[in-house]
Amino acid sequence: MTRAIRTELLKLGTARLPWGLLGLAVGLCSLHNILFDSNAGGTGHTSIPSLATYAGQSQAIWVPGELFLIATVLGVIVASGEFRHRTATGTYIATPNRGRVLAAKAIAASVMGLLFGLTGAAVSTAVGLGFTSAGGHHVLLSADTIARYAAGATVGSAILAAAGVAVGSLIRSQVGAIITVFVWGFVIEQTIGSVYNSAQPYLPYTAAAAMAGVKLGSATTSLPFVAALALLIALVVLVSVIAERTTLNADIT
Amino acid sequence: MAAIEIRGLTKRFGQVLAVEDLSFSVPRGTVTGFLGQNGAGKTTTLRMLLGLVEPSEGEATIDGQPYRKLADPLRHVGAVLEASNFYPGRTARNHLRVQAASGDIDRARITEVLELVGLADAAERRVGGFSLGMRQRLGLATAFLGDPKILILDEPANGLDPEGVRWLRELLRGFADDGRTVLFSSHVLPEVAQTVDNVVILDRGRMAADASLKELTASAGVRPVVRIRTPNADELRAALLADGAEVKIVAGDRIEVVESTPERIATLASELSIPIFESVTETPNLEEIFFRLTADHAEETLR
Repeated sequence: MTRAIRTELLKLGTARLPWGLLGLAVGLCSLHNILFDSNAGGTGHTSIPSLATYAGQSQAIWVPGELFLIATVLGVIVASGEFRHRTATGTYIATPNRGRVLAAKAIAASVMGLLFGLTGAAVSTAVGLGFTSAGGHHVLLSADTIARYAAGATVGSAILAAAGVAVGSLIRSQVGAIITVFVWGFVIEQTIGSVYNSAQPYLPYTAAAAMAGVKLGSATTSLPFVAALALLIALVVLVSVIAERTTLNADIT
Repeated sequence: MAAIEIRGLTKRFGQVLAVEDLSFSVPRGTVTGFLGQNGAGKTTTLRMLLGLVEPSEGEATIDGQPYRKLADPLRHVGAVLEASNFYPGRTARNHLRVQAASGDIDRARITEVLELVGLADAAERRVGGFSLGMRQRLGLATAFLGDPKILILDEPANGLDPEGVRWLRELLRGFADDGRTVLFSSHVLPEVAQTVDNVVILDRGRMAADASLKELTASAGVRPVVRIRTPNADELRAALLADGAEVKIVAGDRIEVVESTPERIATLASELSIPIFESVTETPNLEEIFFRLTADHAEETLR
């Protein structure tokens, strides 16, 4: 298993796309936080509270939800890229145990997802605290809170990257798998969350955001960190098992 | 025990019968050519052998075991099925690093195989910019990486220039002469004829032949033809017919003779004082045998 994980990490390290996605994540976190933090205390309905307040500073360092989406896409590419570039043949000739390959890919993508989350959290925190200091406000957030938010973003990205591997194994078409992830993130999850408020905390991107400190509206309570973590791990296991029982062992033609 | 054993292998894709009840074995220390027209089922058979496609019936084993059960597959079998199955953004060396990591193979071997296939100078170039011939060479480097006992290659000569084809032929022969085993598919029939010990011919998923080249030539009924140019064609034809040969006049001064030998023809001509200006013997080649064995089905398809 160690050999398979090392191989998948080497694949990630020697391909350009993961690093391009990391750059995209950094860019998105920077842009998102600069736009919101520079308008803190404004009157727009999406404006965050003043940076002089605890709530404003909290929201100023939240990572954008798109970070989790990018981490999921990374996982999808790790799995479905094997079919897009027809490298699955070589991969399964080298490691015929497909379950082992799936697990190794999930772990390798999680490691890269950790990097995405950690970098995204660092960027968002730096921008948020930078605007807070530049506005002449005292930082009201404790180091523990900042660390907890960063840890949540990091772990959430890692698990969603693993979920992306499961989705990419289930849907071999890379375009189809990426569209599925985007449709889920931007349409289905938001629709379900809006229509059924009580279900919202249990949706994957919402749960990952909750781990990173993001609070839902006053009508709904976010899942606690451990519950959100358990939910995301269960999701990864569930989709992986479905992939293992269906497409994973299908013929490589 | 044969190095590779295929027994009753059948594969259906829905209603399509791709391979039907195929059985053959590849003896250790030999080069076996696996021939067939496009869509004959060659690649499907190789994929079943390598555990990539699940057989509908039958089994394929390597040293008595299904490929998926081999303890260290890359050190046991070197296999390349597609020349294009590389991540285009990765360099040749990095591609081999990935393969070496998956087989726990010493990284020093990477430089060795790059030199072996003549890609040492292109090691740091991205595979996306490689020609088909370079990709074939990289595929072969991948196959040789684990210093395996068995090679399984799908159309390895595709994209190679004439010099590359000769290099490949010598490489595969040398590999077999070391006591190792090669099974490769090809449609470049003259090339196969110069390389192989045995031939397996597949015709629309079914076995058409499994024999050594010599046996195949004898059993396929393709006989050597002696072409003679003589000013006394009619007279020589009559003499040869009386001698039991089959003779056809193809032009005024040219005849084609089967069921005889150049020596016998020359003796008869000499006895009758018939001058012979030219005598050429054409031995049957693999291409003729191949088309003869697969002709019936090709005609059926055309109808």
